[in-house]
Amino acid sequence: MGTQRAGSKVQLNQPAPDFALPDLNGQMVRLSDFRGRQHVVLVFNRGFT
Amino acid sequence: MAQLRQDYDRFVERGAVVIVVGPEDAQAFRRYWQAKGLPFIGLPDPTHSVLKLYGQEVKLFKLGRMPAQVIIDRQGMARFVHYGHAMDDIPSNAELFSILEGLS
Repeated sequence: MGTQRAGSKVQLNQPAPDFALPDLNGQMVRLSDFRGRQHVVLVFNRGFT
Repeated sequence: MAQLRQDYDRFVERGAVVIVVGPEDAQAFRRYWQAKGLPFIGLPDPTHSVLKLYGQEVKLFKLGRMPAQVIIDRQGMARFVHYGHAMDDIPSNAELFSILEGLS
């Protein structure tokens, strides 16, 4: 899951830390799945309001 | 989220996938996705693993959930990083498009 400590921020023009989480339907999604295929717009949500 | 949904096709046209991460559980995500008909990938992160990895935890608990956006190019490099300092501190879609258009 990368070498960054909890609470560290992602640095511009550095490799983004990889992660793997099941999506809302239970299918595993890895950031690295998109490597070489698509850009990723990663959005940290503010809550469902 | 409405802002992203409105222009979703324009993200796709620029070779991007949109992934939304939040601390809610899968059931809450499914309910919301269904109600709003959202086309994005939704990643429930109830243990805050990705939220911590990307540095969102402190404000998340102290001040409420702050928005953040990160654009990662096809090579896996972070090319745009925005940590919101207020609930409405969100870059415009036009700004995100302009970043995406500059990527190889």
